[in-house]
Amino acid sequence: MLLMGSNTTEAHPIIANRIKKAIKNGLKVIVIDPRKIDMVKFAHRHLQINVGTDIALINAFLRVIIKEDLYNKEFIERFTIDFESLIKQVERYTPEYAASITGLSAEDIVTTAREYASSSSSMIAYTLGITEHHCGVNNVFDIANLALLTGNIGRQGTGIMPLRGQNNVQGAGDMGCLPNQLTGAMSIANDEFRTRFEEEWKVTLNPHAGDTQTRTFDRLENGELKALYIIGENPLLADVHMNHTKELMKKLDLLIVQDIFLTETAEMADVVLPACSWGEVDGTYTNTDRRIQRVRKAVDPGPNVKEDWVILSELSTLMGYPMNYSNSEEIWNEVRKLAWEMYGGISYERLEKEYSIHYPCPTEDHPGTFVMHERFHNQETVGKKSPFVPVDFTPPMELPDDEYPFTLTTGRRYESYNTHSQTRYYASGVKVKQTEETVDIHPDDAKSLGISDGEVVQVRSRRGELNVKAKITDQVVPGLVFMSFHWSETPTNVLTLNEYDPISGTAEYKACAVAITKI
Amino acid sequence: MGEANLVKTICGYCGTGCGLVLEVKDNRIIKIRGDKEAPVNKGQTCVKGAFAYEYVHSNKRLFHPLIRKAGQLVETTWDEAYQFIADKLSSIRDTWGQSSISMFACARTTNESNYITQKFMRTVIGSNNIDGCNRT
Repeated sequence: MLLMGSNTTEAHPIIANRIKKAIKNGLKVIVIDPRKIDMVKFAHRHLQINVGTDIALINAFLRVIIKEDLYNKEFIERFTIDFESLIKQVERYTPEYAASITGLSAEDIVTTAREYASSSSSMIAYTLGITEHHCGVNNVFDIANLALLTGNIGRQGTGIMPLRGQNNVQGAGDMGCLPNQLTGAMSIANDEFRTRFEEEWKVTLNPHAGDTQTRTFDRLENGELKALYIIGENPLLADVHMNHTKELMKKLDLLIVQDIFLTETAEMADVVLPACSWGEVDGTYTNTDRRIQRVRKAVDPGPNVKEDWVILSELSTLMGYPMNYSNSEEIWNEVRKLAWEMYGGISYERLEKEYSIHYPCPTEDHPGTFVMHERFHNQETVGKKSPFVPVDFTPPMELPDDEYPFTLTTGRRYESYNTHSQTRYYASGVKVKQTEETVDIHPDDAKSLGISDGEVVQVRSRRGELNVKAKITDQVVPGLVFMSFHWSETPTNVLTLNEYDPISGTAEYKACAVAITKI
Repeated sequence: MGEANLVKTICGYCGTGCGLVLEVKDNRIIKIRGDKEAPVNKGQTCVKGAFAYEYVHSNKRLFHPLIRKAGQLVETTWDEAYQFIADKLSSIRDTWGQSSISMFACARTTNESNYITQKFMRTVIGSNNIDGCNRT
């Protein structure tokens, strides 16, 4: 398993436990990460890569596998297209050239490529270390190139596994909370699907994709966006270049925030609606490996607090489009009817008995789909061919220089969750180890700056500055510092860079240039 | 004082999807353990899943709708909040068009609430300007 850009122990602790157990049973894990994270202790090898150089590494893997004839010829012939253009693209990524970009040894690159390609089954798991770059989509394309080249997809023990950060980020997108997709991940541009929804909802739907969050902020900047309705999110603290985000939000004619706390974003709103939290709601979540599972209400909410769907249904009815649902099961059954290919067979009754079911599951007698893309190994059908998408390495948008000599990379810490509005509240008696933000810095850098452990220092980027305690650790390499964004008292995103992947709109949280000074 | 009830549910933090058993007494969660029957975690939990639940009962939760009056957020009724939103959204939509309104959905809430969120946006507002935090 290649574990790329995932600090699994801290961000997905239970998945990390399962990986560690698999290691005891013979799984070889190769950690590819700029930091010496906990998983390194259990890993077969650690490729401590320079931040943002993943494509140079993967292209070198691809080249080694092609040159040494370790690729799956039959698979490529049957199921892929554009192999020739991949060969051409990776030609210049010799192990030595990749070594000069990534900071790794050519030998480690070659050995890892051989191991991935020659193991009976190889898997890639990744997280935001891959996606939170200006080239995040290209990073993912290159991971897919690697899996396709070796046929490591569509069988148990193979595949590509993005580990999801929120309990229902998979479900929210699947339900249609995306600008280009209807429920069941159906394209809004597809006439057949759109007609299906138009008939059920009795409206005419707009066939053109809407705005991503990134585009929303762009249109806010140029005055085209007037109203924003935010549910359970704190973009002011979570998004890059915080001072800029705040200025943009002030331009809105109407900001509605629906949340469980008066977050930093809610404080800017014109109207704030109190919503039920986890523990007070019924329904389902979809986890990182496509399992649908039942979420149950444990306690009654405050008398004036309402579930998200209740609020939206009541508002909808007032605005002239009546929505009358008496419970979450009724809503789910509408989802099952409209997106039956995915969820038709997943009833509340079955979930009660079976605990979890993997979609797609079209009918009540369908067992659910544990492994996706099995058609790749089914001899009868070929289906649509998968293209290789060759990509090129591009360095991070803001590299360190004399004025800002450090690279800041950001991420999460074990005991805290995102903007910390929930994890501020631990049960009594629990001793939390990290109670405030730190800037994690290598002992050599601390020494040359004359900084001691726990000393408050100033961190400054071209966009903002803050004071924070230094934590001296060899988890980072010289020249690299790390911070999370959990504490509003230390809003790390005043520092981060508003450069985005042009396709996904994801910001480059993982790399910007900062200066650190002793106060 | 009532007896403790046990409620099975799924953790609300990361995307792993661990099954939990909540011990509930007098409308409060008093303890959480991993569900041994859960296929994902088989009884295990991490520190967040097992202990970081007191936010549900925090007195800093929002308990009433709030509306901005004379620059300040003040308590209001649901009726007033709904009417204000309905009037304002309708007038913005009618003046500036459907694409002048955007919605950020929530990756923490249920599938059911997310389905209704996008249905609201696509039917009532008539816009596909809906996205989540899946890019951050």
